[in-house]
Amino acid sequence: METNYDAIVVGTGISGGWAAKELCEKGLKTLVLERGRMVNHVEDYPTMHNDPWDYKTGDVITNETRENQGKQSRTGYTTIESNKHFFVDDNKHPYNETNRFDWMRGYHVGGRSLMWGRQSYRLTDFDFTANAKDGIAVDWPIRYKEMEQWYHYVEQFIGVSGENVGLPQFPDGNYLKPMELNCVEDVLKTSVSNTYSDRIITIGRTAHITEGTKPGQGRSNCQFRNRCMRGCPFGAYFSSNSSTLPTAEATGNMTLRPNSIVSEVIYDADTKRATGVRVVDAETKEVIEFNAKVIFLCASTVPTTSILLQSKSERFPNGMGNDSGELGHNIMDHHLGVGASAQVDGFEDKYFTGRRPNGIYVPRFRNIGGATDTKDFLRGYGYQGGGRRGGWSSSVKEMAYGIGFKEAITEPGSWSIGLGGFGEILPYHENKMTLDYEKLDAWGLPTVTFDATIKENEENMRKDMQLQAEEMLSNAGFKNVRGYDRDYAIGLGIHEMGTARMGHDRKTSVLNKHNQLHDVPNVYVTDGSAMTSAGNVNPSLTYMALTARAANHAVEELKKMNL
Amino acid sequence: MDRRKVLKNIGMGFGAIAITPTVVGLMQSCQTAPQSMPVFYSKEQFAVLSGLMELIIPPTDIPGAIELKLPEFTDAYIAAVLSEKRQNEAKSGMEAFIAAALSATGKSSASSVTTAEWDAQLAKYLKSDEAPAGEEAASSFAYQLRSLSINAFRTNEFIGEQVLAYDPIPGRQEGCVDLLETTGGKIWSL
Repeated sequence: METNYDAIVVGTGISGGWAAKELCEKGLKTLVLERGRMVNHVEDYPTMHNDPWDYKTGDVITNETRENQGKQSRTGYTTIESNKHFFVDDNKHPYNETNRFDWMRGYHVGGRSLMWGRQSYRLTDFDFTANAKDGIAVDWPIRYKEMEQWYHYVEQFIGVSGENVGLPQFPDGNYLKPMELNCVEDVLKTSVSNTYSDRIITIGRTAHITEGTKPGQGRSNCQFRNRCMRGCPFGAYFSSNSSTLPTAEATGNMTLRPNSIVSEVIYDADTKRATGVRVVDAETKEVIEFNAKVIFLCASTVPTTSILLQSKSERFPNGMGNDSGELGHNIMDHHLGVGASAQVDGFEDKYFTGRRPNGIYVPRFRNIGGATDTKDFLRGYGYQGGGRRGGWSSSVKEMAYGIGFKEAITEPGSWSIGLGGFGEILPYHENKMTLDYEKLDAWGLPTVTFDATIKENEENMRKDMQLQAEEMLSNAGFKNVRGYDRDYAIGLGIHEMGTARMGHDRKTSVLNKHNQLHDVPNVYVTDGSAMTSAGNVNPSLTYMALTARAANHAVEELKKMNL
Repeated sequence: MDRRKVLKNIGMGFGAIAITPTVVGLMQSCQTAPQSMPVFYSKEQFAVLSGLMELIIPPTDIPGAIELKLPEFTDAYIAAVLSEKRQNEAKSGMEAFIAAALSATGKSSASSVTTAEWDAQLAKYLKSDEAPAGEEAASSFAYQLRSLSINAFRTNEFIGEQVLAYDPIPGRQEGCVDLLETTGGKIWSL
């Protein structure tokens, strides 16, 4: 096949799909490399219509799955029967843990854009200025005003449903019709707005079409099946497979090559530019080189960083772009698994229609100035949660089993509600990933070793996350309020990020303000590895916005003959 | 499998089972399909499991646990899904439950315990607030079995599609609606 292109994009997930679309639309002949297999929209969603009873023991995680996907099963939900084929086999794709690290991923076209949580939030200047204000790590080289148009642009294309609420820490966006709160969520919303001046309940902002259509391959309105992670036959939520990749394909400029494991970026010392990438074919193990004028690394945080660490040359003995020594360091996630739940009495005659693929949201209300500032910890957190009406939960002894019991389990039980925190993790230099050249994978490439933990700031924040959730639920008059703080290890939020951070200074950061490697300007990194701090919101929308912005920059620079 | 053996299997220890259309249907289906062997429990324990689940989810206008093959589902579920710890509880709990029933009835084998006696044993645990001293394992098995029974019932195709409110493609979302108007009082199956 052709080995010379204008651009190479490594990865097809959230960021890679966007890079492919933007570069192809701007006329660049673009090779898009994906290490995993092909997944075509709709036709490769084998479980999309399955009911629980289509599986022998229901749609659950089986012991057999735990043997093959033990680490992937740590979430407790990703490897159920209907989803497990989109997550890697841990025996085939091992990694090492100095401390427990949950690295959840799928190797296929579309990457995690197929299985993502779809919550779509903007960072703000509370985030972009945080490191500078707190004297933590390094300053972000960008501010909200430079990102705003790109957030707007990507929201317009992907479709995000939500509500504008006019809070500076939760900026208004370009939203489609919001989904509805259920009866008990309405109670909490009213209570919180009456009780607190610093916080609100709103519907989650999620990348689902709730009105009209969006570009791509047959994208239409959400049908409220809540079977998103299997791939959506209606193309109702954003994925690379339904949206960016078909758009890139339609330009005629894209060549997509699955089963292509990029092992390194090739550096030319004379031109001080990257000339291309080296690929190991996942099936034949053949090694192939592809060349291009510009390279976008969008393989997701850990693989992108691995590729750069593996890209050793005389100029870059410790990995391409790693003069700072920060490559692989500062790994972050969002810490979660802490919050509270409660029982809600009443509303026995009320119910809902549709399985809403979304929850409620409490935007950050800590450390955003004035009375919100606390000495106990830096940064903040938001809550995601929801009310539900589950199954039978009676304690009436006469109906403990038998005919009355059987009737009762065909009816809904009591309502309950919960709030779970998503907290910011600070960038700690000592939280890192390294490569182990003693333990090679099946393709002869080094495996990744993680050594990262949350620390005092996060632990202190977790106490507040539990306490405030308990208080909000108690203040709403709910019963049996129960706080919880479950085991959390970095990665469980599936928001790993920060290992090739952006910054002003080449001595302390890997990427510049345009997501270029400081010293190799034709290599752009626009996935989670670019993050200088984590913020407290789900990051995918930011990766999309950064990617679109960087692609625009790359094309301008190519025109100016600067790359 | 022949009719007599079916009767013997399902009737064993559970007293005389009335020949309802349900049971006839079961026997007819067994004439063509070979009976699958339990994968987790022994044959004797599986007979007890079936009898207990039929008491928890008896036949009404809706088929009961045995006709719905919930014992088969549950036996397979324990083997394929539960952790080793929970499996051990399911095994030792069953043994403790049988031992408690034998002790209460003075009988020497589970196959001779009657349905009424099994019923009394279940009631002793599920309809009281506290397990009698020394019978904690048997009591906790009764609760585990009830949870497993609910799970099997809710994961059953007939129940999910014909009895509960089934709507694989809702097409719309409304947050707060009237239960009776929406599902006739039934729980959504999905």
